[in-house]
Amino acid sequence: LNAAPGRAPRQQIRFLPAPAPGGGGAVELVAARVPVLADHPLVRGPRFRKLKIGAGHRLDVKASGVFVLGIGHGNKLLTDLYNCHLTKVYTVGGLFGKATDDFSDTGNLVEKTTFDHITREKLERILAVIQGTNQKALLMYSNIDMKTQEAYELAVKGLLRPMGKSPPIITAVRCLQFALPEFQLEIHCLHETQQYLRKMVHEIGLELKSSAVCTEVRRIRDGVFTVDDALPRTQWNLQSIQEAIRNCQLKVETELEKTLG
Amino acid sequence: RGSGVAAGPPRTRQLQEAEEAAPVFQYAGKAARRKDRVFVWGFSYSGALGVPSFVRPDAGWKKPRRIQPTPYRLETEEKISSAACGYGFTLLASCTRDITKVWGMGLNKDSQLGFQRSRRDQTKGYEYVLEPSPIPLPLEKPQQTRVLQVSCGRAHSLVLTDSEGVFTMGNNSYGQCGRKVVEDEIYSGNHLIHQLKEFDSRVVQVVCGQDHSLFRTKRGTVYACGWGADGQTGLGHYNITSVPTKLQGDIAGVNIIQVSSYGDCCLAVSDEGDVFGWGNSEYLQLASVTETTQVNVPRHLPFKIGKVKEAACGGTGNVVLTEEGNVFVWGYGILGKGPNLIETAVPEMIPPSLFGWSDFSPDIRVAHVRCGLSQFAALTNRGELFVWGKNLRGCLGTGRMEDQYFPWRVTVPGEVVDVACGVDHMVSMVKSFT
Repeated sequence: LNAAPGRAPRQQIRFLPAPAPGGGGAVELVAARVPVLADHPLVRGPRFRKLKIGAGHRLDVKASGVFVLGIGHGNKLLTDLYNCHLTKVYTVGGLFGKATDDFSDTGNLVEKTTFDHITREKLERILAVIQGTNQKALLMYSNIDMKTQEAYELAVKGLLRPMGKSPPIITAVRCLQFALPEFQLEIHCLHETQQYLRKMVHEIGLELKSSAVCTEVRRIRDGVFTVDDALPRTQWNLQSIQEAIRNCQLKVETELEKTLG
Repeated sequence: RGSGVAAGPPRTRQLQEAEEAAPVFQYAGKAARRKDRVFVWGFSYSGALGVPSFVRPDAGWKKPRRIQPTPYRLETEEKISSAACGYGFTLLASCTRDITKVWGMGLNKDSQLGFQRSRRDQTKGYEYVLEPSPIPLPLEKPQQTRVLQVSCGRAHSLVLTDSEGVFTMGNNSYGQCGRKVVEDEIYSGNHLIHQLKEFDSRVVQVVCGQDHSLFRTKRGTVYACGWGADGQTGLGHYNITSVPTKLQGDIAGVNIIQVSSYGDCCLAVSDEGDVFGWGNSEYLQLASVTETTQVNVPRHLPFKIGKVKEAACGGTGNVVLTEEGNVFVWGYGILGKGPNLIETAVPEMIPPSLFGWSDFSPDIRVAHVRCGLSQFAALTNRGELFVWGKNLRGCLGTGRMEDQYFPWRVTVPGEVVDVACGVDHMVSMVKSFT
């Protein structure tokens, strides 16, 4: 970063003595534009000594996916994005037939059950009911009086969302793949933790009169940032980072503008 | 990948062997069937919910529960196929061939639940029935006839069978039971259950208004009897009728596929998707065709909202469901479009996003609409129940006591198949998930 060409040094106007155009000896003041010595790289030193990097929504050790970081001014944008309360999308993989103590496939086994009675239809019914109850929670925690016209209009547009602290809420669930005993869900949620998603997989198993553990939690979207914008391990270099920041700037600005006004 | 063993971090062989040797439990076999359940909620002191412990608690320290604000499961002996809520009482019917086909609970001061012999005094009947009690119907072939549908009004009830016509019981002071009005008849403790068989074809739907009855036959004709002071019998006069008579007016010759009524206004839907209305119009229910407040002849309501599939009438508001799955409301009261819409004579559509429709789930449609006296209920094709309207004594089932100005989901542990709305309570038939 420090090797890149920095800002041009500031210019200032000074009156310097210069020999007069007429005869010898007389000194005249001539206005000239000269660089300020304080801005010289040898005086100032390297431009960047420390970089302030902040992290966005947490991602725990066993999960993977999009992780948003803010650099410098981006830290302030991070707080604004947090206050927007945008949904995050996860792909959650599950496995029927086992129940463990920490709801993932690496925990200690608690129970094994049969799962041949489970069909895709039953799973989708349970998902519909989860969506329904969470939809109710969405409206309840949004802290708007249900009796006002304003509440009705926001509810019609689907913009009613909790704008403050709330327990984890799932706005949408969908079954992507179903091949007994494995299945994969796409979950859109707010204010959640990955352990809550694993617990949800466990509870889906219980509801279907069997048991399930969570094999994979992968965040594919965090607010406006999707997997396409994210940089994989091989691209963690200055060039790609700068390009990524430039590409996302516009998106972030429009989103903040829209939500926070 | 292996058969169900996930590739986790390297584990000790002992742990893996212990896991494989663990016993496998079976909670549900491959042939597990979904169970049919009945959920009730609302005002319980009339006994209409059918749970005696709400009215008379079984332990001394328990308090009676006046209102059940959320759905409560009611244990029934048979699968209930049809239910109806009246004004403080409920009828449940099952399409079984056993002798007991209909159960009733709630108010029985006009024998709307038939004669329930009191255990204390063998000559008198119960005035409040707290538990679903069988209603003895005078059937000729009790082990072959099936009960198709039941309907309840303010103080009378109708039971429709497949081969023995319609049975009516309860208050008959306006001829709503289809038999001649007897002066000074005492309805309490009355054993009489009247049977109606003289229609031009088999009756396929019975509907009770507040004090009148409507019968729809297979041919698409509609018969009515009962009170007519608001024109709700649709027979061209404002007197009472004690014998079911065919309706004429705009529905003469039209094949009607559904009739609905609960208060004093009636709606009928034809097979071509047209809506006809008659009866009370004080709340702008029929104001699109007439300025008068009572209409005693069926009139066609010229709404340009598409082909109508189902209609439901409430006390002051009406709702229709079109073929595309859109819900339209009009009338007076809390119509479901926020607190600002109190009355309208022209149907207004309720946005489908309030029923769960979104870009993420675009195939959610409303499948049925039902009306109580001042509430509305809608069932989607995913089995979700939405209610809105006045929350009289907790009848909406949302868990709160406030009125609901736009459709709100009711959390029921199952897929709702049908719902019956009353004045201050509701009954729903639900299939469990697995």
